[in-house]
Amino acid sequence: MKRKLIAAIGIAGMMVSIAACGGDSDDGGDKKAGADGYAGETLTVWVMDGSSPDDWQADLAKEFEAKTKAKVKFEIQKWNGIQQKLTTALSEENPPDVFEIGNTQTPAYAKTGGLADLSDLKSEIGTDWSESLNKSAVFDGKQYAAPWFVVNRVVVYNKKIWADAGIKELPKTRDEFYNDLKTIGEKTDAEPIYLPGQNWYHFVGLVIGEGGELVKKDGDKYVSNLADPKVAAATETYKKFQALSKAPKDKDEATPQQGEIFSKGKVGSFIGMGWEGATAIATNPAIEKDLGYFTIPGPTADKPEGVFLGGSNLAVAAGSKKQDLAKEFLKLALSDKYEGALAKANGVIPNKEALQSNLKGNAAAEAAAPASGTGDTTPLIPEWAAVENDPNPIKTYLTAVMKGKSPAEAAKQVEGEFNKRLAQQQ
Amino acid sequence: MTVQTERPPSGPSDVRKADGGGTGGPRARAASRAGALAPYLLLLPAAAATVLLLGWPLVKDGLLSFQNLNMAQLIQHVTEWTGFDNYKEVLTGEDFWRVTLRSIIFTAVNVVLTMLVGGLIGLLLARLGRAMRFVLMIGLVLAWAMPVVAATTVYQWLFAERFGVVNWVLDKLGWHSMADFSWTGSQFSTFFVVTVLIVWMSVPFVAINLYAATTTIPGELYEAAALDGAGVWRSFTSVTLPFLRPFLYATTFLEIIWIFKAFVQVYTFNGGGPDRLTEILPVYAYIEGVGNQHYGMGAAIAVLTILILLGLTAYYLRIVLKQEEDEL
Repeated sequence: MKRKLIAAIGIAGMMVSIAACGGDSDDGGDKKAGADGYAGETLTVWVMDGSSPDDWQADLAKEFEAKTKAKVKFEIQKWNGIQQKLTTALSEENPPDVFEIGNTQTPAYAKTGGLADLSDLKSEIGTDWSESLNKSAVFDGKQYAAPWFVVNRVVVYNKKIWADAGIKELPKTRDEFYNDLKTIGEKTDAEPIYLPGQNWYHFVGLVIGEGGELVKKDGDKYVSNLADPKVAAATETYKKFQALSKAPKDKDEATPQQGEIFSKGKVGSFIGMGWEGATAIATNPAIEKDLGYFTIPGPTADKPEGVFLGGSNLAVAAGSKKQDLAKEFLKLALSDKYEGALAKANGVIPNKEALQSNLKGNAAAEAAAPASGTGDTTPLIPEWAAVENDPNPIKTYLTAVMKGKSPAEAAKQVEGEFNKRLAQQQ
Repeated sequence: MTVQTERPPSGPSDVRKADGGGTGGPRARAASRAGALAPYLLLLPAAAATVLLLGWPLVKDGLLSFQNLNMAQLIQHVTEWTGFDNYKEVLTGEDFWRVTLRSIIFTAVNVVLTMLVGGLIGLLLARLGRAMRFVLMIGLVLAWAMPVVAATTVYQWLFAERFGVVNWVLDKLGWHSMADFSWTGSQFSTFFVVTVLIVWMSVPFVAINLYAATTTIPGELYEAAALDGAGVWRSFTSVTLPFLRPFLYATTFLEIIWIFKAFVQVYTFNGGGPDRLTEILPVYAYIEGVGNQHYGMGAAIAVLTILILLGLTAYYLRIVLKQEEDEL
């Protein structure tokens, strides 16, 4: 009968399911260098998109090969979804030997046992690493990664639009900044600032500026502190500036890339990292002559705005079979030569204070420097990494406020999700 | 149901003959054991592929759902059995039930729309002239053949807040408040776009299937109906519909299955957002499991999702099983 046919189609259609997979594997032994150095071996290094220039990688690989006879293979990773990818990679038999890891994500991975203990490396090459950079790499008193660089946000602005609006001097305080943006809105047809509702790194900076904390301790566990008046004050500042922008309230600064929007020349400014200015120039080279940077102004002229110190560490996978070679690589990559070159090329703050002279002449880095001293990170606790997974409750909180909820209401709305993530079983 | 058994032989019954010939015919006649084994041997590759690609992950998923498996356990290869803890946490939480209800409503709305639009287009195909039918078929097949992620990306662009053509058109038509409307901003608008996308992609299957079914209806029946004085409506309900019924069942249940697990469209379009308000069960399983790196929990939700899907399609499975009995 025809039903038989229906049955056949139906059964074929049933052949669908949702399944998850796990992997099993054993750890191999650690290979030591033979008489011939590490000839024939290849070290796999994961670096994040944009964090190190191509020629920096090429020079480093060349010198590393000359020194150890081993090759380096750089694999470029995207920030989006990196935690899931890294977890899976670390569980496999051949994890990347060395990898870049976000500073705020480091404690969580240190706790999983996926990162090799680098305490001996620290005493060998890291005695003068800056304390502010190194603290994210230490967990339970052990060194689980090597600090690489940090970077903080600045105002990227379009000089032509600011001149068209008749602004002669760059703003020194938050109020001057706001008034200048208003002037741009009134006197030109440009959008004064591109600030989407979910640039949560900038928001974290504002909270740091207010002296607030995103989480607080409740007994032995961490819970949301978004209802704190200091956080609310930071949110109000964010909202005041966001109201000057036509950017979407439910998107972050990377979707679409704000640098690309800025490159069209119809946006007066945005808050971003130095390399985002480079993104704008790459999209539209004509913008370069109009592009400038200045420190995000704080409440008073002598105090720049609080900033989030985003950054990266370099870690060695505990499951890597090339521990010694990986450490050789770190010694070279973090040597003054390459650390200095990275700071110079990307305008990022290097891991030693002595290397900061490399930032001279880099406009973005010079604008970033005044604020970096008072900058800070998100809480350096292993529970934090889960908060950054999509959908990030802090982004949800921001969107709710931008769309008209009061900070207190919005804090209440996301509290459940935020606390759930902070309490997540590890 | 009984009407169907009285149907005259037509196209699809040939399939049955060929099919029945494989199991019943030769066994009766052939004496050799090899002959009797042949059909099972022929089934083997398909069965092996199913067990390997579907059965094994399913078993694994079931095992994971009884474990506490997070970043640390995965990286260090530690197995922590926790019994029914994951299920207890999921089933006692209010999130899961909210998502389940949302999934069922979402599936119902999409299936009803797909079947209505698809059915009407299928009937239209049967009535169109050769050239127009060809054009419409091409359009349908192209929509059908479009890869899901590509289609979703196109819809993201169409409905983009600042540069999307939909907002631009609405603005030009005088609907100025829509100029910067954020389609991803609310639960309803996100579901609206996802529904348009899913219905658009699902209609071709239904339409072409039903059109194929109408070609199996012998013309004499309409003549006979006309002689008996049946009008257009009467001949539709008495001749066309009974023929189409089994196809309507099959396609409806397939659409339920496909739409219930429409992970890609929902996740790619807005990631289950805003504020987790458009998560349907498969998206919820993914975000809890993979997104939050809480793999055991995700596996438990996936198992429950499969059970719910089985529940929703139980009626159809019953028809299939019952009819298998009839055939034996």
